[in-house]
Amino acid sequence: MRLLVVEDEIKTGDYLQQGLTEAGFMVTLARNGLDGHHLAMTETFDLLVLDVMLPDVDGWRIVQSIREAGRQTPVLFLTARDSIDDRVKGLELGADDYLVKPFAFAELLARVRTLLRRSSVPVMTDQMRVADLILDLPRHRAMRAGRKINLSHKEFCLLELLVRRQGEVLPRSLIASQVWDMNFDSDTNVIDVAIRRLRAKIDDDFETKLIHTVRGMGYKLELDDEHE
Amino acid sequence: MNSRLGKHPLSLTTRVMTFVALAIGLSLLGIGYLVNSAVEHHFAEQDADELEVMTRAVDRALRKTSDGYSRLDEALSHAVSGHHGVYFQVWDKEQRLIYGPSTDDYLTPVGSFAPVSRIQVNNQYQWQAEGKTYRGVITQTQVGCFEYIIVAAIDMDAHLQFLKNFRRSLWLIMILAGTVTLLATWYGVHQGHAPLRGLSGTMREIQADRLHVRLEPDGVPRELQQLVTSFNDMIGRLEDSFVRLTHFSADIAHELRTPLTNIITQTQVVLGKSRGLVEYRELHYSNLEELERLAKMVNDMLWLAQSEHGLLKPVWESLGMAQEVRKLFDFFEALAEEKHIQLMLEGQAPKIKGDRAMLRRAMSNLLSNAIRHSPEGESVKVRLDVSDEGQVLLSVQNTGPEIPAEHLPRIFDRFYRVDPSRQRQSEGAGLGLAIVKSIVEAHYGSIDVSSDYGMTSFSICFPQAAINWDCEEGALP
Repeated sequence: MRLLVVEDEIKTGDYLQQGLTEAGFMVTLARNGLDGHHLAMTETFDLLVLDVMLPDVDGWRIVQSIREAGRQTPVLFLTARDSIDDRVKGLELGADDYLVKPFAFAELLARVRTLLRRSSVPVMTDQMRVADLILDLPRHRAMRAGRKINLSHKEFCLLELLVRRQGEVLPRSLIASQVWDMNFDSDTNVIDVAIRRLRAKIDDDFETKLIHTVRGMGYKLELDDEHE
Repeated sequence: MNSRLGKHPLSLTTRVMTFVALAIGLSLLGIGYLVNSAVEHHFAEQDADELEVMTRAVDRALRKTSDGYSRLDEALSHAVSGHHGVYFQVWDKEQRLIYGPSTDDYLTPVGSFAPVSRIQVNNQYQWQAEGKTYRGVITQTQVGCFEYIIVAAIDMDAHLQFLKNFRRSLWLIMILAGTVTLLATWYGVHQGHAPLRGLSGTMREIQADRLHVRLEPDGVPRELQQLVTSFNDMIGRLEDSFVRLTHFSADIAHELRTPLTNIITQTQVVLGKSRGLVEYRELHYSNLEELERLAKMVNDMLWLAQSEHGLLKPVWESLGMAQEVRKLFDFFEALAEEKHIQLMLEGQAPKIKGDRAMLRRAMSNLLSNAIRHSPEGESVKVRLDVSDEGQVLLSVQNTGPEIPAEHLPRIFDRFYRVDPSRQRQSEGAGLGLAIVKSIVEAHYGSIDVSSDYGMTSFSICFPQAAINWDCEEGALP
């Protein structure tokens, strides 16, 4: 997966490049709008991450140009909080998503993966499996080691999200947004409680733990335990 | 500062003076006119009497001497003796002068005016001859078989001279009286404004550090009491905002200091000597948590700053509040169940126009507060209602310890905490309720809190204007 990151702030650019590279993407970093514009128009990427505020050619211009050129490459905008109108303008111009600075890297990673998944053909399956955990999607049923596990509707949705994106760290805000459609920074520890209750049903009685807390970032579902 | 470029309102003194000058001027002119015409009328009446007496005397003389011309002359020459400045002529029917000075000298020819039957003020004639002004009457009389026309006239120059002098004095008096009245008015107005100048002096002394100064409403005239009260109220609000702002800066510093101290201390301690990978990782995790907290606080503060500058722009859509509340109940289900708290929705309301994400955020803050402060096993209630004025009311209620009354007025302030010792636990930076308020206000609504009899209730009132009556959710009661 090839990503183009256009970011003029040196440190942010470096860390975005490093983080995304380490997450398994091929990252091209442009440090100004002109280079970014040129690269976006001449090469093929799977996703663009654009800072709106660029000194020369701003993010909007780049989106406009590639959309006019008929390219459907997904675009993720990075905007400053003090210009909320940017998000409207960005989305109108054809951006697919936006993140407000300061943002958590885990959040960015999760959004990038969501966008890349959106642009690829979704895999329709009836069943998902991680180790001995089996999800029966049409019937909203979960089984582990052959034992049926009783889950509420939202608990099943939460588990489904974790399984679908296994191996990814999912920030609390993304979980709240995807499972409950709550698109704001919440003061509450609702997600932690929900995960704890899900864990009690999925993991507590079993030797192999599937759900892991990634401190300061979020949660992930994974077979082998790397963190903690 | 527009007024400097455009029309500057007239000064109060100018206004009062203009009105007074107009009123005084008009009434003095009226009085002057009346006095003048009264005097003129009086003279005219006097002249009429005199002329009548003369005419009668002439008439009498004519009747006594109805027998011949020779005695007529004699009789007529004595007829008006004792009168000064008077003249008369007697004419016969064929308009021949029988007696009196010739027409060329001072009397007008009979033919110019018609004779009158009775002498009155308003049928006297005035004319000028030889540089003098005369007033006179013309009458007809029948003596035997003769018909005479009598012309009697008075030299009125003396009267006119008197009137001229009289008018001059009248003007002088009027101008003098007007000027004195205006000066007195000006002085009165100036004196009347003295309390205003006093107030202005007191106000000038009020600086940022002296906002506690209040004006004394009893020390000013009744007309200014309302102004003083309003001013005091304004200063009160300013003082309040100022105090809040001062606290706010102190609070920000305090809120930022704690996580920063944690980060700096921890990092310095860990870097103090060489450590294992696990310890370094632990440091980063810990720092990350503090930094996330800082980032969230900065985001919340920027949100509030935007709301203060009116930059929160709701994306309006039609929202069924009951449906939204149920969605939030779904979200808080796990948290509530952990504390064995029941979430209940009562009542219904028509749809309102609002920003879905913002309103969810506001209600989420209220619900999480309610769940946090509700004792285990109790219930948290959301009530939907419609006021008599058609406003949609939403209240979030929880039982449990009451919020002391002295905290209620400030509970929506940024960083305000009812219990200062409970900072930095699960409840964030104390910005939650401030954010709720900012969202409600962006929806042109109002929010209120009450806490008594073991029940705390936050009530949001959405103004009628936000209600979209077209699409109702559930029937109205």
